[in-house]
Amino acid sequence: MLKIKNNDEIAGVAKMSTQLKRSFILAKKDLRIYYNKPPVIIQGLIFPIILFVAFTIGRQIQAYQLVSGLMAMVLFLTTTSISPIIFPWETMRKTMERLITCPISLKTLLLGSIWSSFIYGLIFSIIPLILGLTFLSLEITFSFLIIIIGMMIAALVFASVSLILSVPPYDTPGSTMVLTLLIKFPLLFISPLFIPISSLPISVISPLTYIIDIINFGLGQESAFGDYGLLLDFTVLIMIGFGCLFLAFALHNKTLEKRFRG
Amino acid sequence: MNAILVNNISKHFNLSKGKKHKNLNSVSNFSSGVVRAVENVSFSVKKGEIFGFLGPNGAGKTTTIRMMTGVLKPTTGSIEIFGEDIWKKPILVKQITGNVPEEANVYIELTGWQNLILMGEIYGVPKEEREFRAESLLKKFELYEKRDLKSRKYSKGMKQRLLLCLALMSNPKILFLDEPTSGLDVQSSRIIKQLIKEYNKLGTTIFLTTHDMDVANELCHRIAIINKGKIIRLDTPEKLKLLTQEYQAIDCVFTDKIDTEEIERFKSVTEVQEIKGGVHVIVKDVHKALIDIIEFSKSHNYEFKQINTHQPTLEDAFLKIIERGAEN
Repeated sequence: MLKIKNNDEIAGVAKMSTQLKRSFILAKKDLRIYYNKPPVIIQGLIFPIILFVAFTIGRQIQAYQLVSGLMAMVLFLTTTSISPIIFPWETMRKTMERLITCPISLKTLLLGSIWSSFIYGLIFSIIPLILGLTFLSLEITFSFLIIIIGMMIAALVFASVSLILSVPPYDTPGSTMVLTLLIKFPLLFISPLFIPISSLPISVISPLTYIIDIINFGLGQESAFGDYGLLLDFTVLIMIGFGCLFLAFALHNKTLEKRFRG
Repeated sequence: MNAILVNNISKHFNLSKGKKHKNLNSVSNFSSGVVRAVENVSFSVKKGEIFGFLGPNGAGKTTTIRMMTGVLKPTTGSIEIFGEDIWKKPILVKQITGNVPEEANVYIELTGWQNLILMGEIYGVPKEEREFRAESLLKKFELYEKRDLKSRKYSKGMKQRLLLCLALMSNPKILFLDEPTSGLDVQSSRIIKQLIKEYNKLGTTIFLTTHDMDVANELCHRIAIINKGKIIRLDTPEKLKLLTQEYQAIDCVFTDKIDTEEIERFKSVTEVQEIKGGVHVIVKDVHKALIDIIEFSKSHNYEFKQINTHQPTLEDAFLKIIERGAEN
């Protein structure tokens, strides 16, 4: 007969460290299952290529703008592509109820989704940086570390944004895709992709603007927001990230039950 | 000791405008956009018991089990699993329970083996132990040969067996099974029933919902019958069957045509219906009626071709109880 766990072991499962570990297990599962789903491929890989061509063709763009714009766009689109489909997909495939009855909290479940989006987005957004350094003779004059830290924070922020996109209790990934596009495209269009930040004042409301500014800074340019621009960039990104994270926790808590009704 | 204590739980759903509840016709009350799916349900399940929850479609079985497994929060009432409130300490309680939801599925993109390892990781089963458990469960449920096959290629019965393996990966103290054998082939159904009995013998408490009378009759120590969100009977299968004595009958087929009027006059007989070559006799007391009919055949020199007795089945009891419930 299999051994029965003792009570101390059971009592440890609610600990934060145990739940964090379990969120990584969920992230591994999400990456393994969802990385090649059509909505993820379309939104995460095909859209960035199409939009890059649409934004840049026939325009005079400086090399650093090309790299920062492309990196920010790829990061945003790939990071926000995987998380919104996990919930409807799992609801549709009837795996969600099984997961909910496991010893994991809703926050653990959502964190798992954030880690998978984070890893997926980061991997693909590094590609433009490597291409830029290789083919566009770009030099990292200030700090490669700033770009990496900025990208990591932005990936977490965009992953948190994408959690909000998965709040409506749909059981069809197609419905979620339409909704996410309605939010993601306007955000992209008001962002200073491949143009100076100062030429698009409305862009201050887009989180993409701040990661573009960080990457530009890392590539040896002045921050568009003055002497303390870098500090501002990081502060705004972190605030948006935490705001979206807590909002997502609260909203998912409200809508989760609706996924299991009649 | 009680493994499960359900105390006066209710679940009401608010329906948004224009939306229809799938089971609206069968729920007890629907007014002002509120569906009362479960209403004031209380019961307890003893440690080591197989407890059945029986009811027609839309009676509230799945809603109840979902409240007990931490999926739906009760509108009122509380549920304790081994003394802990599932809604106050959900993670602790879920750690000691295993669950097979009615419409659940495995991850079809993963192999059977990967599904089990994933579940073991989520429950925090150490690596060596989870590999040992995965292997022994797959062997027990006759899935070991297919362990490296993506589970999208599994049949429905195989998926259901794998789901049960997933629920058992953590070696739970309580198993919740929502319609575990519904729509399965004979082989899968037999394996599942056999292993439910086996795990119960090892001490696992089992709570199962079903509308399959054979499953309930064969497996359950006690059965609660739920209809329109309320429990209308709770007893052992044997006692439930006693509620329907009128379903006791004897079928007699004779070599010659017989006079049925004399049989109708027996005190032990309630009603006689003619059937091909004989009679279907509804009786009050099988023993006395059998003696009367045998004496009757001896005295008239009638020769029996066939004689069968019918005891009331759980299905008869269930239908009667539901019928009475509807009349009330």
